[in-house]
Order: sequence, then structure tokens, then C-alpha cells
Amino acid sequence: MVRVVVDDGVTEVRLDDPATGNALGEVMVTAIGSAVHAAAASTDCRVVLLTGTGDTFSSGAPAALLAQLAQGERHPADIRLPRVLLDCPVPVIAAMAGHAVGGGFALGLAADLVCLARESRYGFTFMNMGFTPGMGTTALARHVLTPAVAHELLYSGELRRGDAFSAAGLNVVATRAEVVPRARDLARRIAEKPRRALEALKRTLSLPRRQAFEQALTLESLMHQVTLGAPGAADTIRATYVE
Amino acid sequence: MTREDVLAVVVKHLANAVDGLDPATVDPTRSLKEYGANSLDIVEVVSGAMRELKVKVPRAELNKLTNIDGLVSLLHDTKSGAGVGA
Repeated sequence: MVRVVVDDGVTEVRLDDPATGNALGEVMVTAIGSAVHAAAASTDCRVVLLTGTGDTFSSGAPAALLAQLAQGERHPADIRLPRVLLDCPVPVIAAMAGHAVGGGFALGLAADLVCLARESRYGFTFMNMGFTPGMGTTALARHVLTPAVAHELLYSGELRRGDAFSAAGLNVVATRAEVVPRARDLARRIAEKPRRALEALKRTLSLPRRQAFEQALTLESLMHQVTLGAPGAADTIRATYVE
Repeated sequence: MTREDVLAVVVKHLANAVDGLDPATVDPTRSLKEYGANSLDIVEVVSGAMRELKVKVPRAELNKLTNIDGLVSLLHDTKSGAGVGA
């Protein structure tokens, strides 16, 4: 599910389930959490670099999970994966060379530095499936993208090419092949700094996002009671889910 | 609206989605993929074309398609079909 490579202060956590587009099923979510916790527990780790195998960095929630949410078998507030990155004591770099959709994009936007590929696509498809965004996206997107762009993507469900984010002030927007090497350069530069200082700065810089994330989860779960609880919600998701 | 009009709409959205495509060179017997469109490019091309044509085709139907001609026929038939947004 997840491969971990440690190199001179940089712990690469690679989502490695390309057959599902690195979908965020229960096993993957647990694997990411364990890998990031283990990285943080090692005193040698000064940066976490999050990458993904294949054309898709992460396709977000698998169809089965959305069906469980719509049927009330799972509670959307239980899905707190971005918190793993927000609470990671050292900075996290998301190198999203492949597409990132829905919760997959939310995961990447929870990182401290964000890298996209020109030819990959990024967006939030929640509203295309008839329900409101989850996983803290209503907060995370605004903190990384401009609020205007975040609102547009959340309302429209557009899957936008990475090159359209060039002006959004992200850390890296490069060709697919260049994204991970560029992100790794960035990681090495940060990994030269002492862990104690990195921890202090991470805690400070991430504070507004951590607070906004908690608030967003609360509001998003209220929206979900309305939109996922609506009659026919499960059917709409089934008809509109993009594999 | 003719089939050619529908083709022009599809090709326009394809050209917006992929780099360096000359719309004049598109052969509709080939697939969107052969013109460099990845899976999510195709999602945006098809949804953009449906929006412009004011038609809705179920995703299950779209998944069966193999080339641009097939997509154009499906959109055109839906558009001119009885009572479907025509």
C-alpha cells in the first residue's frame, strides 16, 4: 500500500496502490497514518515527502466508502486523514505528480508545501456526485489556493490542469517527470535545518490550518447530514462516480 | 444540429484539454486517448461537450465508447432524440 524510503533526513512516503489510483480506502488510510507516525517518531526525520506511484497521486474515497457514507454506515467526520499531515511534527511536502481528486487532493493540500504537475488534473468532485465537500476541503483548499479559486473548484467540480495553477502561488508547478525531483530538492534543503527548529516552525505555521480544519470538519458534517441523507443520494453517487 | 456540429464541439473541447493539438488533424475513427488525453482529460472533454450541447448521457453509456465517432454519435443521437433537450 505504502512504501517508505529514508534518505538523509527525508522520509519519502509513497502511496503505492496504482491499480486503484491510490484510492483512500481503509487499508490505505491506516497505512499512510502508520507511515507518517513512524517517520515522525524517528528523531533523524526532518521532512516527510509524500508521493504516489502511477498516473494518479490519489483518486480520493473509493466508491464503496461513499456508498457507506450515503447509507449512514460510516460517518464522514470519522475521516480525518488530513490531520495526520497537519499534526505531523515536521514539515510535509506533497509531490502530486499524478492527478489528485476529491479527498486525494484534500490530502495533498494538507501538506505544508504543495507541488503539482502541469499535465495532471486536480479538483473536487464531491458536488458532481450531489453532496457537499468533506475531509476538511472547505478549509484546506482556501489556505493553499486563493479563496476565489478554491470556491470555484468546490462549486464547479472542475478537474483543472496543473498548469492552470501556475499563477496560484504554489511551491512547484512542473512537468510530471520534474515534480518529484524538484520536491526532493526542496526537501533536502529543508532537511539541513535542525529538527527542533523545524518542529517549532511547523507548529506555528500550521496553526491556522489546524484550527480551520477542525472547524471545517464540524460544518462539513452538518452539510453531510443534509446532502448525504437526502433521498436518492446513494443512487446519484453510483451514477456519477468517476472510476 | 448536424453530426459535424457535434464533432466540432468535441474537437474544440479536446483541443482545450491537451497540449499542442491541431483541431484540423483530428481523425474521429481514433480515440481521445490517441490524441494524448488522459483519463481525467476525457472526463473534462466529455462533460464540457455535454454542457455546451445541453445533453446528459449516463456515465455507463460513456464507458462503452471506443473512439471519437462513437462519442459524437451518442451525443448527436441523444440531442436529436425524442424529447431529450432537443
